[in-house]
Amino acid sequence: MNELAFLSPDDAQDDGFAPRAASPLARALAGSEIVDLSLRGKLEVRGSVDEIDVDADVIPITPERALVVCDPGRVGTLRPRLPGLVVDVTAALAGIEVEGEPLMRRVTDLALDRLPAAAKVGDVAALVARDGNRFRIFFPQEYGDSVVATVRDAQEGLR
Amino acid sequence: MTRLPPQAGERIDRSRELSFWFRGRPVRAFGGDTFGSALYAAGQRVFSRSFKYHRPRGLLCCSGGCANCMMTVDGTPNVRVCVEPVREGARVEPQNVVGSLDRDLLSVVDRVGGPFTPVGFYYRTMIRPRRFWPYYERFLRNVAGLGRVDKHGDRKNRYDTEHRSVDVLVVGGGRSGMRAARAAAERGAEVVVVDENPSREHPDGLELIAPATAIGVYEGGLVPVDAGSVLIRFRAGRIVVATGTLDQPLVFGGNDLVGVMLPSGVRRLVRDYALKPGERAVVIAGDDRALECVDDLLAAGVDVLEVVDFRERRVSALEASGRRGRVESVTIDGRRLECDLLVASGGPQPAYSLLAQAGATVTFDAQRGIFVPTELPVGVEAVGRVAGNLGNVGVPHASYGDGTSAKCFVCTCEDVTEKDVKRALAEGFDSLELVKRYTTVTMGPCQGRLCHLASIRLHARERELDAAAVGTTTARPPWAPVKLGLLAGRGHEPAKRTSIHHRHKEAGATMMWTGVWRRPYAYGDASAEVANVHDAVGVIDVSTLGKLLVLGADAASFLERLYPNRFADLKEGRVRYGVLSTDAGRIIDDGTVARLGDDSFYVTTTSTGAEGVLEWFEWWNAVWHMDVEIFNVTGALAAVNVAGPRARELLGRLTSADVSADGLKYLDARQAHVAGVPCLILRIGFVGELGYELHFPSVYGEFLWDTLLGYGADLGVKPFGLEAQRILRLEKQHIIVGQDTDSESNALSANMPWIVKFDKDDFVGKWALAQVEEHGDRERLVGFEMANGAVPLEGGQIVVDGRPAGRVTSSRRSAKLGRSIGLAWVPPAQAREDAPLEIRVDGRLEPARVRLRPFFDPEGERLRS
Repeated sequence: MNELAFLSPDDAQDDGFAPRAASPLARALAGSEIVDLSLRGKLEVRGSVDEIDVDADVIPITPERALVVCDPGRVGTLRPRLPGLVVDVTAALAGIEVEGEPLMRRVTDLALDRLPAAAKVGDVAALVARDGNRFRIFFPQEYGDSVVATVRDAQEGLR
Repeated sequence: MTRLPPQAGERIDRSRELSFWFRGRPVRAFGGDTFGSALYAAGQRVFSRSFKYHRPRGLLCCSGGCANCMMTVDGTPNVRVCVEPVREGARVEPQNVVGSLDRDLLSVVDRVGGPFTPVGFYYRTMIRPRRFWPYYERFLRNVAGLGRVDKHGDRKNRYDTEHRSVDVLVVGGGRSGMRAARAAAERGAEVVVVDENPSREHPDGLELIAPATAIGVYEGGLVPVDAGSVLIRFRAGRIVVATGTLDQPLVFGGNDLVGVMLPSGVRRLVRDYALKPGERAVVIAGDDRALECVDDLLAAGVDVLEVVDFRERRVSALEASGRRGRVESVTIDGRRLECDLLVASGGPQPAYSLLAQAGATVTFDAQRGIFVPTELPVGVEAVGRVAGNLGNVGVPHASYGDGTSAKCFVCTCEDVTEKDVKRALAEGFDSLELVKRYTTVTMGPCQGRLCHLASIRLHARERELDAAAVGTTTARPPWAPVKLGLLAGRGHEPAKRTSIHHRHKEAGATMMWTGVWRRPYAYGDASAEVANVHDAVGVIDVSTLGKLLVLGADAASFLERLYPNRFADLKEGRVRYGVLSTDAGRIIDDGTVARLGDDSFYVTTTSTGAEGVLEWFEWWNAVWHMDVEIFNVTGALAAVNVAGPRARELLGRLTSADVSADGLKYLDARQAHVAGVPCLILRIGFVGELGYELHFPSVYGEFLWDTLLGYGADLGVKPFGLEAQRILRLEKQHIIVGQDTDSESNALSANMPWIVKFDKDDFVGKWALAQVEEHGDRERLVGFEMANGAVPLEGGQIVVDGRPAGRVTSSRRSAKLGRSIGLAWVPPAQAREDAPLEIRVDGRLEPARVRLRPFFDPEGERLRS
């Protein structure tokens, strides 16, 4: 095991126990149409973002920092191909995908035409990326229930 | 008949009938009516009773600017019914009334209370004896004021907050505002217009939000807009203010009688709601726009007895008279005219408040007797009448009262009269701001919209100053009344939950707050949980611990400089306890540091200290420019402490790693798979028994928790909560930073001299700790045990020789030890084994003895086993 292997869900092995990863949002999102991105592979890169050359979703945070989102099974293969210091934050960040500017306006004060950007969503530090009218929000998993509650409440208010 | 035949452009929809309840009686209305217009159509003329004197008040401005029509609608007090659209079935009630609006018993205050209730009387006349003040206050609050909030209301209204970024925000949807909006839109800007009045039509290509009120202008182009149930926080590149002007009332005797109205109010009644505002009217004004209302009155069939344009005709004396609070006549320079409507305007005042809040300079225009905005800040524009484009405007007298007749109101919201202002000035309150605070003029619901200029004019006249010298009061948000519910919004309070949180809930744990974390206090009997850890094995969720990675070639040197003890010599795969200090040597946090490799360390902090320690590390890294990267992995990792004499047996069932006493020694750190989950195992023991702290990806939190409980069932494994942990650690005299330490505590006085390595090169806090070492400390943290079973309160007083000498920081009853134990700060002289103490418990002094070594397993044999 490498020095930071204990951070990677990808490093689990069967050992006769069949370990099961669970999304921190599983309960909070029950019955909701919000897409859960929590179990997607996520790597934090601290190095030149311009040098990132992988076929994965790269969300720049600063010129020297980015979040790379990928299929969970690709974390191990992508990590050595990324520049600078790379830490597996798959389990650190929960994520959701929601639709519509009206909803986003109710949960964040970000300028929605200048994404991706880091700011607060539902009073929790988050990273927000946009693809058309869909928004991906990544945030510390320990705030998962709170953020989802805020987002679902905002959805309720728009109905 | 009050309702007129259909008017061109009227807001009401006569094809749609509605009804609501007023004082239990049904009232009919049309779609588009306000509660105010519908009540007026139904013959209601008195809409409220005044704040202090309980004088009858009727419609005045019909624009939501004054307090004259405030009623309680569906339980919500202080609703301005002149602008509140009718809702089917709504219940409307008058407020601040005993009896009815027409016969209010409390109006006795107006008839007999005047001499006893001058301005500021509550500062002077009801303060003795002092012990009676609470009763006076209660009485005053009952007879004066506005509506009452129902404390037990069901809070059925929902209020949301929305954030918008726009290029241009136009406040005011009148002609000038819309013209400016179109011009900006034609240049390609994203434009939003907000307007206080309900929208009649949607303008092409522009977004109009109405009815909506901008309640302030803040730094950075922030403009919060009250859109009813949504507070829209606009961030605008440019702000265009087109708020127009406000008709100002004239000050004269009887100027608050029902039937005295502003021209704009009359215009709205006639044009928007097709209502006839009276039968016989007199009009007095000094500007063309105000005088336009004469045409409306004539069109409505009102007999206009006289029109006075004070630009052309000098008026010296003016007084309205009537019975039961209603106008019956007006006397102008000695000539009496019988009428039921007096339309009086003191001229238009630009509604500059938002501009002033934004930083505009406001200058007095002596020729027109008004204040106009000048020198606008960058990014803010004024268009239309608010910019002072008013044409020829006459300047009225400050007051037309003769000082002997009826009350002349300067501020109808707060019932402040001309006499009150004069008295305040005579008493020495000689600045406008002081007069405001003493008399409360401009501090009522209209927030000075209708009384600010009048109070300045009066002030200037009395002090024989130019109004420019008097100046204005500071413009502050909110510019318009706003519901507290709207400001509060949805009130979500973010909470942190571990990935095992729901398992604790399912197990019936009592949850508690620690900082922003939700944690299990206990799963039932905390004492039984303690016993199980001592006798078998327990598991506790410690995912809340702060967790940092410190990586880089300088990582060891970095930690060496931050902590008072050594880390450069920490071997790979070993753990060491560390205490962080400020430059002043004060303890800020503690935790463990594990070396993962040459250039990588894993640091844990207290549960509430992670963010603070991260900032502390990053700050020093920025200062020292070392080759170090710091990652906060608190949420990435769940952590479970498996503790108790059977912990090894349990762990051995789940991993192929060697967890024997020799294979994984006390203070070892080892990576291994536990139940297939990649883990960092720290062999440490905060609770004093053989223990393993498993740190692993949080997505496996529930899985590993379930697996530990499942595979350890026959070993007696049970979860334990914070209360059990606190008892267990107290038995070992392990401190909790923030509970056993405060902002003055240092590592030496906290009984940890072994951790401070003075022979090291410099470290944060070294100089300060050296001072403590040289000069001695003022108090020491020690353990104590009670001579009897009493358990002192945490924070309880330590008494030595009959004098207060310290405080208890932690205390519990230990069933294992069979006595009450604790930690306390005591004078250094008492910090010796077996020193006697007295501790105040329930008012009595109970004997105790100092204990400097752990109460349980003092040699640490169980911990190291």
